[in-house]
Amino acid sequence: MAATCQCESNRQLYVPKLAVLEKIAPQTPLETLFQFRFEDGQPLGHRAGQFVEISLPGIGEAPISVASAPCEDPVFELCVRKVGNVTAALHNLKEGALVGIRGPFGNGFPDDCLKGQDVLIVAGGIGLVPVRPLIHHIMCNRFDYNNFTILYGMKTPQEMLFRDEIETWQASDAVDLRLTIDRPHPDWSGHVGVITTLFPDLELDAPKTRTVVVGPPIMYRFVILECKNKSLADENIILSLERHMKCGVGKCGHCQINNKYVCLDGPVFTYSELKHMWEAI
Amino acid sequence: MALQVIGCEVIPQLLAKLMAEGRVVGPQRREGTEQWAFADVKDPCDVDLEYISTTLPAKKYAFPPVEKLLRYELTERPVMEAVVESEPLVIFGAHPCDIYGLRALDLAFSDQNVDPNYEARRSQMRIVGVDCKPDKYCFCGSMGTASPNDGYDLFLSPITGGYVAETVTEAGAQMLEGLPTREATAAELAEVKERLARKIQETSRVNVEVHSLPMLLSGLENSKHWEEHAEKCYSCGTCNLVCPTCYCFNVLDQMALSLDRGTKEREWDGCMLEAFGKVAGGENFREEREERLRHRFYRKYSYLFTKHGRPFCCGCGRCVRQCLVHIDPVEVLNDLIVEAEGRQG
Repeated sequence: MAATCQCESNRQLYVPKLAVLEKIAPQTPLETLFQFRFEDGQPLGHRAGQFVEISLPGIGEAPISVASAPCEDPVFELCVRKVGNVTAALHNLKEGALVGIRGPFGNGFPDDCLKGQDVLIVAGGIGLVPVRPLIHHIMCNRFDYNNFTILYGMKTPQEMLFRDEIETWQASDAVDLRLTIDRPHPDWSGHVGVITTLFPDLELDAPKTRTVVVGPPIMYRFVILECKNKSLADENIILSLERHMKCGVGKCGHCQINNKYVCLDGPVFTYSELKHMWEAI
Repeated sequence: MALQVIGCEVIPQLLAKLMAEGRVVGPQRREGTEQWAFADVKDPCDVDLEYISTTLPAKKYAFPPVEKLLRYELTERPVMEAVVESEPLVIFGAHPCDIYGLRALDLAFSDQNVDPNYEARRSQMRIVGVDCKPDKYCFCGSMGTASPNDGYDLFLSPITGGYVAETVTEAGAQMLEGLPTREATAAELAEVKERLARKIQETSRVNVEVHSLPMLLSGLENSKHWEEHAEKCYSCGTCNLVCPTCYCFNVLDQMALSLDRGTKEREWDGCMLEAFGKVAGGENFREEREERLRHRFYRKYSYLFTKHGRPFCCGCGRCVRQCLVHIDPVEVLNDLIVEAEGRQG
């Protein structure tokens, strides 16, 4: 092997950069929105849909989708569900704490193919987190896009993330936001039913519509079916997939789906790419 | 490239010379067993160049089972710094399959993002290869890996009473400097050739040309043979651990007992282990044994093969040699080949 790559940037491949935890905004009993800023003031420099590896020295590292839009740099946000060692430890941190960040990694949403088109976002549960930067980006550059629709489904009203923003979006003419919960609940007067039950009422201009889908694995199959019923082309159905990326740089093998690495080739794929990959969903 | 002949008695001298210059590892028999392991050479006589196969491949020196990536101190402002350890090392007596395995890992670890730890170890490595006598598990002839194309400094091919020593690098030529050598005769070169031909013949056991494997596998994802062979799999991951071309790893933080410092380490992981495809929240993307077996085979003979232009299997046979239930890649591939040919009608 050629001994040509011992440059400093290469040596730093697995070294996180320190970031300050600036704000903690609990969303639900399980999920919290954390805002960070790199200690050196540099922006994260990410695209909507990318992820970072957050590192708590002594505890571990976990891949987390960036929840804020690129235009919000130099602060960036991660919305994290308390589910494992790292995410539980993160929930114990106080403002001012220092964490390690590697990334951004992955490809992000293909903005070029969304611009000038109707955009339909379908988010289930914490699937809203990876698409939030895209929503912010579209809302900030609203005239670059045509009709903008968001479907957001939750199991219960208590699981709703970013409540203030959702209220703003609901009141706005800039986006058609439709919410649903899986089963009736005394605190809920809106639509009830799984997210696919929102599809029949949608009026889509199929050739012009680009659909972005993020949610639990079980959701994809049924949402794709609804998209097909609406005559959406496979290449215009865009999905972001979850895997446990341990290295983020295409080595450790954990995020592999058939011949693709989610950390390098994803996490965003079109359905036309995925439909031949039997390990995808 | 130069071809010289050294007598068997020169091997200890060569080893002693290399040991005087730095760390040397070589195949050594585990006393009283038919097992060998690469280990640090303390006495040249401990090196057994007629070994069959080592339990773990020589990759453990380029990509150790456990390796520090970072060191951190949990002071008020945590300090995290890269740990990139390496030292000059001679791997003495690597078989062609192991040399090929390292060349495959070179491609994987330098692809897109160069892995600093692997690169540092590998760049200080010198390799003395030795040709081998295959056993019933070897299938290097089928993989095209029976003799190395590159990736070594010096290669020793056994002949009666000694070895034909081929040097391909400056470092390899320096190894032989000052040692008694003579030019190889035509008869000796013919002996090497004949030995290699016999080895290729004995170890060509997969019933198709290796480069047709990626194409052959496309369309076989639902073959009944995955389940058939995986049915007896214990999901123990041994095949991953002993494989010269497996390089998946896990990353773990290790905190010191003092709780004020620690290291981030990577350790070998395996796609045959049940938890490998699990994500937070419990979803497992490769829950069934046959899914994991299929993934391993597609990685070796399709995905990485297509990406890097060579099979990610060196035909060493370690996976089946160590397998508790005898899952033999040759049998699996040959079953798949029969099925594919049946489909073509």
